[in-house]
Amino acid sequence: MPRNSQSSIKQSSAQSTHSRIKILQNVVLITFAIIVVRLFFIQIIEHNAWVAKAEEQHTLLETITARRGEIYMMDKGEPVPVVLNQTAYQIIIDPTVTKREPIEQALKTYAEPYIAVNFDDIYQQEGLRYAIVAKNVPRELAEKIASEDIGAVWFKKNNQRVYSEGQLASGLLGFVNADGVGQYGVEGSLNHILSGKDGLLKTTSDVNNVALSIGKDNTKIPAEDGENVVLSIDRGLEKGVERITAEAISHTAATNASVLIMNPNTGEILTMANLPNYDPANYANVTDASVYNNYTLDVPYEPASICKNFAFSAAINEGVMTPDTTFFNKHYEEVDDWKIWNAEQRSSLYGTLTMKDALYWSLNTGSIYALKLLGGNPNSINQQGREKLFDYYYNKFRLGQPTGVELAEAEGFIPDPNEGWGRDSTYANLTFGQNLSITMLQTATAFSAVVNGGTWRTPSVIKGYYEDGKVIPKDALHGRVASSEGPPREVLAGEETTTEPVENSTSAGPVEDKILTDETSASMRSMLINNREYLVRGGIDRPGYDIGGKSGTAQVVRNGAYDDSFAELIGSYIGFIAPSGEMPQYVIMTKMWGEGQSIGSGDAMNLFNSLSNYLIDYYKIKPNQ
Amino acid sequence: MIRKHHADLTILFSTLGLMALGLIIIYAIGPMRANVLNNAYGTDYASNYFFIGQLRSVVLSLVAFFLAFKVIPYKYLKKYAKPFMLVALALSVLLWLLSMAGSSLAKCELGECRWFNLGIVSFQPAELIKLALVVYLADFITRKQQNGELGKWQEFWLPLIVICGASLFLVVIAQGDLGTGVALIAIIFGMLLASGIPAKQYLIMLALVIAIAVGSVVTSTHRMERVNAWLDTLQGAEVTDSTYHIENAMLAIGTGGLFGVGIGNSVQATGYLPESINDSVFAIMGETFGFVGLFLVLIVFAAMLIRMLKVADHTPDFESHLYIVGVFSWALAQVVVNIAAMTGLVPVTGITLPLLSYGGTSMIFIAFAIGLVCQLSCYTSREVTTNHENISSRRRVGGTHHASRRRSA
Repeated sequence: MPRNSQSSIKQSSAQSTHSRIKILQNVVLITFAIIVVRLFFIQIIEHNAWVAKAEEQHTLLETITARRGEIYMMDKGEPVPVVLNQTAYQIIIDPTVTKREPIEQALKTYAEPYIAVNFDDIYQQEGLRYAIVAKNVPRELAEKIASEDIGAVWFKKNNQRVYSEGQLASGLLGFVNADGVGQYGVEGSLNHILSGKDGLLKTTSDVNNVALSIGKDNTKIPAEDGENVVLSIDRGLEKGVERITAEAISHTAATNASVLIMNPNTGEILTMANLPNYDPANYANVTDASVYNNYTLDVPYEPASICKNFAFSAAINEGVMTPDTTFFNKHYEEVDDWKIWNAEQRSSLYGTLTMKDALYWSLNTGSIYALKLLGGNPNSINQQGREKLFDYYYNKFRLGQPTGVELAEAEGFIPDPNEGWGRDSTYANLTFGQNLSITMLQTATAFSAVVNGGTWRTPSVIKGYYEDGKVIPKDALHGRVASSEGPPREVLAGEETTTEPVENSTSAGPVEDKILTDETSASMRSMLINNREYLVRGGIDRPGYDIGGKSGTAQVVRNGAYDDSFAELIGSYIGFIAPSGEMPQYVIMTKMWGEGQSIGSGDAMNLFNSLSNYLIDYYKIKPNQ
Repeated sequence: MIRKHHADLTILFSTLGLMALGLIIIYAIGPMRANVLNNAYGTDYASNYFFIGQLRSVVLSLVAFFLAFKVIPYKYLKKYAKPFMLVALALSVLLWLLSMAGSSLAKCELGECRWFNLGIVSFQPAELIKLALVVYLADFITRKQQNGELGKWQEFWLPLIVICGASLFLVVIAQGDLGTGVALIAIIFGMLLASGIPAKQYLIMLALVIAIAVGSVVTSTHRMERVNAWLDTLQGAEVTDSTYHIENAMLAIGTGGLFGVGIGNSVQATGYLPESINDSVFAIMGETFGFVGLFLVLIVFAAMLIRMLKVADHTPDFESHLYIVGVFSWALAQVVVNIAAMTGLVPVTGITLPLLSYGGTSMIFIAFAIGLVCQLSCYTSREVTTNHENISSRRRVGGTHHASRRRSA
């Protein structure tokens, strides 16, 4: 329409008023139609996609933490807790909202040692909306801070492990790491039993992750709390043993010592001490991670002459030898063109000696003679002898095999009787405890069989569960321990570690295996008591008791060969205690060592002597006259 | 003279219905809002704080509505159109000066000072500008038309640009209120369209304003950010801080589906969706009532708007006609820009949904404006007014009757 004059404007205005209203009407209809189509698209066509997105945004998956089981030891027949839980709190603030003055003041007043940050730092950081300002704050202090009612302060509950006995038996107990996973010891090995099963809370939540009652898919799977585990460890004995052992370390060149005490008739472990201890509550403060080891079962080594007990037992049990069997001692034995010398070279021992003497003086030539007798040829080592010795060591005494104790343990190693080079010399060494690697627990368990009448029993460190004030016996527990998966666990390579600890796989349950005759065991006991005869005379062993024992001094393998400079030695001693004429009630094994230190078996024996006397007092074992 | 008949019932009841709906929504999500603010900012809002606030606004709005509808004749108001406009502008100038002086009388949020702080209540002068501009432009255009100066540069365009420019400057630049700016532009161009100025001039002016608007967007990083956020959302990009609002508005609407999650079951209102009780209330309604619910709400808005046009069309008085078109443009702009932003059709500008959003000043003023439309709807003629040129001489004496729905269909 041409509009170039004033009148045409008026005219057009007149005509257009109505049509322009029509335009606006169409604007309404078109824009609303577009909006409706758009809404249809979002709400109907894309509905499922938005619901999925919303679920992602709105769903709060919260773990309901299972309560970790507590750990008990025995004391005078009663279970006592040694590892407990304590509820502690993390304190979290939003520095953009939380006012600095009141929270800083409240923390400094009530929870100074738990402050985890520098307030200047977090308040200078731009855009920081989440800061953990204090950790492990005990409940009563957290409550005090909460009562200050400072805006935008959150308290996050977490369970903290409390080791009520401090460092006691730390190598046995292990610790719980920052992720709540048990590491080392009982905490690590039995993590699956102690930790229980976390529950899950799935709920719709608001923007601050506070659960809402809105929503239909809210689910709650309750947590299954962990079991309280009762160890067979005697708390009082463990304490006393650790005290005496720590003293022994301070009086010798040794830096480390381990002590294992068990009941040879049941396999029950009463003490597992590894010194020095560490503080499991502050496990990260150690300088050397090897202190986490439980040397009694983590770290295989060569107990040396202690193994003569096993070689002698084998020969006696096979009927080819008695304590009075004689052999000619010329201080050394030549095997595979290799001269094996006795440690004890005194000239009075040159000549014909009994096997009893050989054990008393710990003569390698004597134990090699036992191996020869096992082969049926007193003049040389043969295949039959090697195979018989292997059968006893590996199959009967179960050395170089996991014992089946409820904790993660090392396997160790016994060389094959027929494969490899220099078998005869290897097996000659085996008779006095070299060229193999076994744990203290394997040694003590086998030794228990030697002295208890000949029965090998699976050792055990767990008495049962503690539930509702009573101990549920371990029989109910055993299958669960053995069949469950092993804990995630990192093994630190100790100096003597040759084999990775493995999770025991004795799903068949505890073993009871009569491997020696009563007579063999009796012969061994008498020889072992004879070994300590001079100690009775010296007033160290009290009259009225049968205390038998055997020492072992191990050379340390350096770069694949025995270090003949004897610059570093590991001293061990094993023995039993019984009232005179009775069966042994306790087996004690001690081990002392130090990096680069020559620790003879004398130190280990002295420790044994102190411990055997302490034990008699502790258990008030009455002497037989 | 036209005999007074009863008002347009569609406009009347849709206004009251929307206010009631807004009250219900705030009743449902107000406690969540209070909770969110208490958690995030350590405030101490009672759970019914927002409902009480909305109730107060609705009561005041009803008073304003009925004052405009029944008490204050439009002819009084138009008599004071010019001073009314000047007062409105002066108040915004005063606010601007106060805010620059750092006075506590100016209430600022997120760096934008849009409110007078009057103790227990606050007052947003931009809302007054909207009403004043509608009243003023109706008066201005009518005068120019009667003088035959419509479309003339010096007599018409220059004063128009000055008064509109001043309003836009105070609202958009001084108060940083882009949403109200969009509403003002809609009011101006809606009324200009109805004024009967030549289409060519209208289109040139429209093109000019669009050019200025686009220019101001691309030269401002802050505004470009919003546009980019909107484009990102359309492309389904990862949620960032800037796309969070649109994304969550659409998420609320999308989860509503056909029938919605029901009253009190909105999850987005528990803090995920920003501005859930005011600018984003449409999205919460989408979540709560679903497609069917939103469709009905849109029907109500559309019916109200279409009826306003119908009343305008049947209003013999040119100035009243312009006034109604102005109110229509105001409401339309707010409804469309708000909903389009919530559905990702346009960038978010920050504009309330009339009669539904939480907020006092905006509801009171639009209620008053619609109340006047209702008053004017009592004086419509049966026939469509095609020509307002010589309105006085052509006013029909006979044949007036109720422009009721019943008989005008």
